[in-house]
Amino acid sequence: MVKATLAGLLAHRLRLLLTSLAIALGVGFIAGTLVLTDTIDAGFSQRFAAAADKVDVAVLPAPGTDRQVPPHVPAAALEKVRAARGVADAQGLVRGTSALIGKDGKAAGDYPTSGIAVVEGPLNRTEITSGAAPKTDAQAVLDENTAKTRGFKVGDRITVLDSRETRHEFTLVGLFDVGLDQELGYTGAVGYTTAMAQRMTGQRTFTEIDVAAAEGVSQEQARAAVAAALGSGYQVVTGEKFADDLAKQNGADTGILKTGLLLFGLVAMFVAALVIYNTFTILVAQRTREMALLRCIGATRGQVFGSVLLESTVVGLLSSALGLLLGYGLSLGALTALTSFGAPLPTGVVPTLSPRTIGLAVALGVVVTVGAALLPARTATRVAPIAALRSQVEERTFRTGVVRTVLAALFLLAGAGVTAAGVAMDPGESALFVVMAGGTVFFLGVLIFGPVLVRPLGALVGWLPAKLFGVPGKLAVDNSGRNPRRSATTTVALTVGVTLMTLIAVITGTVRVTFTERLDEQFPVDYLIQPQDDDATLPRALGEGLRNRPELASVAAFREKITEVGGRGAEFRVGTFTPAPDFRPELDAGSIALLTPGTAVIGRHVAADLGLKVGDRITVRTAKAGAVDLRVVATFDPASGVLPPVTVPTADFDRYFGAVGDSRLMVNARDGVGADVGRRAVEAAAQPYPTAKVASAAEIRGEFEESLDMMVMIITGLLGLAVLISLLGIANTLSLSVYERTRESALLRALGLTRPQLRRMLSVEALILGVIGALVGVALGVGFGWAATQTMNDDVAFQVPVTQILVFVALSGLAGVIAAVLPARRAARASIVGSLATG
Amino acid sequence: MTLTGGEVGARGARENAVPAVVAKGLTKSYGRGDATVHALRGVDVSFATGAFTAIMGPSGSGKSTLMHCLAGLDTVSGGQVHIGDVELTGLGDKRLTLLRRERIGFIFQAFNLLPTLTAEQNIRLPLDIAGRQADQDLFDRVVETVGLRERLGHRPTELSGGQQQRVAVARALISKPQVIFADEPTGNLDSRSGAEVLSFLRTSVRELGQTIVMVTHDPVAASYADRVVFLRDGLLVSEIHRPTPQSVLDTLMKLEA
Ligand SMILES: Nc1ncnc2c1ncn2[C@@H]1O[C@H](COP(=O)(O)OP(=O)(O)O)[C@@H](O)[C@H]1O
Ligand SMILES: [Mg+2]
Repeated sequence: MVKATLAGLLAHRLRLLLTSLAIALGVGFIAGTLVLTDTIDAGFSQRFAAAADKVDVAVLPAPGTDRQVPPHVPAAALEKVRAARGVADAQGLVRGTSALIGKDGKAAGDYPTSGIAVVEGPLNRTEITSGAAPKTDAQAVLDENTAKTRGFKVGDRITVLDSRETRHEFTLVGLFDVGLDQELGYTGAVGYTTAMAQRMTGQRTFTEIDVAAAEGVSQEQARAAVAAALGSGYQVVTGEKFADDLAKQNGADTGILKTGLLLFGLVAMFVAALVIYNTFTILVAQRTREMALLRCIGATRGQVFGSVLLESTVVGLLSSALGLLLGYGLSLGALTALTSFGAPLPTGVVPTLSPRTIGLAVALGVVVTVGAALLPARTATRVAPIAALRSQVEERTFRTGVVRTVLAALFLLAGAGVTAAGVAMDPGESALFVVMAGGTVFFLGVLIFGPVLVRPLGALVGWLPAKLFGVPGKLAVDNSGRNPRRSATTTVALTVGVTLMTLIAVITGTVRVTFTERLDEQFPVDYLIQPQDDDATLPRALGEGLRNRPELASVAAFREKITEVGGRGAEFRVGTFTPAPDFRPELDAGSIALLTPGTAVIGRHVAADLGLKVGDRITVRTAKAGAVDLRVVATFDPASGVLPPVTVPTADFDRYFGAVGDSRLMVNARDGVGADVGRRAVEAAAQPYPTAKVASAAEIRGEFEESLDMMVMIITGLLGLAVLISLLGIANTLSLSVYERTRESALLRALGLTRPQLRRMLSVEALILGVIGALVGVALGVGFGWAATQTMNDDVAFQVPVTQILVFVALSGLAGVIAAVLPARRAARASIVGSLATG
Repeated sequence: MTLTGGEVGARGARENAVPAVVAKGLTKSYGRGDATVHALRGVDVSFATGAFTAIMGPSGSGKSTLMHCLAGLDTVSGGQVHIGDVELTGLGDKRLTLLRRERIGFIFQAFNLLPTLTAEQNIRLPLDIAGRQADQDLFDRVVETVGLRERLGHRPTELSGGQQQRVAVARALISKPQVIFADEPTGNLDSRSGAEVLSFLRTSVRELGQTIVMVTHDPVAASYADRVVFLRDGLLVSEIHRPTPQSVLDTLMKLEA
């Protein structure tokens, strides 16, 4: 029995390969994810372990309670630590912002560069890659990446703004690697001596104190001594634990990556399971006679069952092995790609297949394959020995069973109900989860109901091909609905991928339109000028300079202060704007002309929080005029407005808070001034102010769309795997069908069907299967995409990206046709005489 | 419609007409080297238009091979085949396919019909493939002849074996082919259904002037034909005209001896 099974497998190597490939792709993706994340984790641990070698004890601030102020270690603690017994050296780490000025005279980057201290001695953890560490206050080092993008090299003079925006010049004496520090990697960083770092960043405190223990003092002893010297209010940990904690924190980061990727892997495995299930079902059907013969000559039901399971086990093992190889290759490719894109990943760790990965991949491959083959194996045991004697295997006609209808209806209703409940819930994450659960249940309903849908959908989709392609087209339509269960499972595999892709397309399309609409509301101007650092302000002279440019029509400057409003501790931004000709903020009632001295207009949320209505008075604590009492003259919608939550007249604001700088400038170009001319005028005016960043609505939209497109591309690419597997399924089903219909094809050829016509017949069948799968997927994707967008926080402008979805449908059809190429070639090549003789 | 064995005069007249199919020096071998099987070793034969010819011979004598070569289903190793005025040998697959479509009808032993199509669709299939319209009169006549009027909407699985073969006969007739090739058309049928199908074949020769070449190993089936040719080991060895089951059997006995 075992021999017969294995011989059968070897006889159909191509089919074996196709079947195995489906599982192998899924296993490969999962194995690849594990290898990749293992490798990254190992790299991190190695780096952190290296750091721990240098640091014996680390002093960190106790986890802060105040979110406004990041936790820090006061400077005085350093002396206490240095005085502690067993401490050889202690250094405080400084980190803040110090904006590097680029060669264009503007502050470099979207965010101010970080400023850090490069400590001297054995405790230095900054890796200087060329040149030297800064020795004097006139020297500085720059991170490699910033140096490259901004065009600085060792020996250059660099200009950096300190926290008060005063310029300082330094000689660039070296470059350093930011290592695994994500924040520094993002902002870029300038390194100074500790004293200079404190002056540049304005930080008098430390983020961390690193301690080296004296000779012969263990990390634990040193830790105890330092902890005793400092008292409470600090986290004092050994270097080892410190490294562990850092590695764990990073592990959590890779954990998210791992979970995300594994989700896609599971989708792929689900699709692969459908493909395997279908393949084995068809195989069992085709081998009815063979199995009946085995039963005739004395094989028990158990043995028949066993032979199918053995076959699936072999397929499972083979695919897992293939998958492991594939996964290893994938992870190598991904690592190379990630590092070449400059992702801050530890290099130098060779990816390895850990026993855990191997065990998991093999277990997954075998369990999914055997699990998917269980039902078909059970069907095989039901073959009656007498079937061996029937000359022609009858095609079982499919009838819609009551059980199927009831079960499908239950699932569909439950799914729809749960989804509706999710939509009705308050927007938020839990609503989204409810919708997702509803979607899954509904999908199961579609899975059960699929065979009933195939024929009508096939007739619908096949209408045009049947008209266009004559007999081959008509036959293809018939064939596609010939075995509804088989066709349904084949197409549902594709539906999974298309549903998810459509879902993503709908959600991102909706987000895109919603964002654009909101951007138009909030950014009703051509240019927006803001300081590089959100908390900073721009000198008022900049606004004056802009007003003097003839190319510009209007300039509205916004000034704000956070202060207590309402007298009960609540703080809001209180601000003003300088009037400009075409700036007319919308109010709930009346116009901005209502804003007269001694009054304020407030956002609806402020009104709600403080229980105020128009006509009431509010107290605002001011810097220069003490507590002032203002009359509320109007409210506005905070979502649509650009106004500060509490807006007062310009002159009043100056009286309350003094000459505060501008936190935002909105600029409109004069009509007829070209975009580039306007832009140049704005930039010229902003040139003397290095931290003033100019943005245009078009740029912001462009950046947002770019990142959205990137996300769609990545997700679609990852879902492509599931689609690829389902295409293998289509190819597999078709080639098995072609095999089954060998004599039919020969008959058609004898009757005068040409080879191209025969090929076309199979292509059209595949096209129909592909498009059915896509249509169902699109319907589900749009439906649940709508439900998902309803769970988003704000009012969204629901959007169906029609072109994108049409492309999905067209590509699915095309992909089906491509999947049919090999089976169709085979069918067309077969000799008529030889085929007539088979069966 | 009733069929009688008479009408000998009409039969004789047709046999002298222009041949519908001619084979000259036809050879066919399978395999290579030591394993070469010479299925046909040089067959010269012609089949008259409007005649019903049976090809007989022991199993393995090359009957099916001859038919496949004559019908353009298989390539020949040597010699020539003409269907009407067209020489088959040397035609490419495309031309052969079109030739089959236009000029040849087939009836096989089994699996003659597409299971997805109804009886009527199966009958019209060759015309549909060729993109031709059925002559409605002919269709009605053929359907009447084979007695399938009530069964046109049925699918093959809903028909008996005899009915299925009658559908196949109707399908072969509907495109008015120059020649119909039938390979053991009654091999899978009980004798009554077999007799029915054979009667229809003979009727179509008489009434529609159809040319039929039928391969069979059954002397009774062969006796429905106007002429029987005998094959042995890939060679045409004998032929008889106006056969009876007994004369066919006698000839076979002689050949086996
Ligand atoms: N495809 C083939 N390959 C090899 N030999 C074949 C093939 N088809 C037929 N033959 C051989 O050719 C001879 C004639 O076969 P066939 O025409 O089928 O005989 P018949 O139909 O009279 O029984 C036989 O010896 C058979 O074994
Ligand atoms: Mg034969």
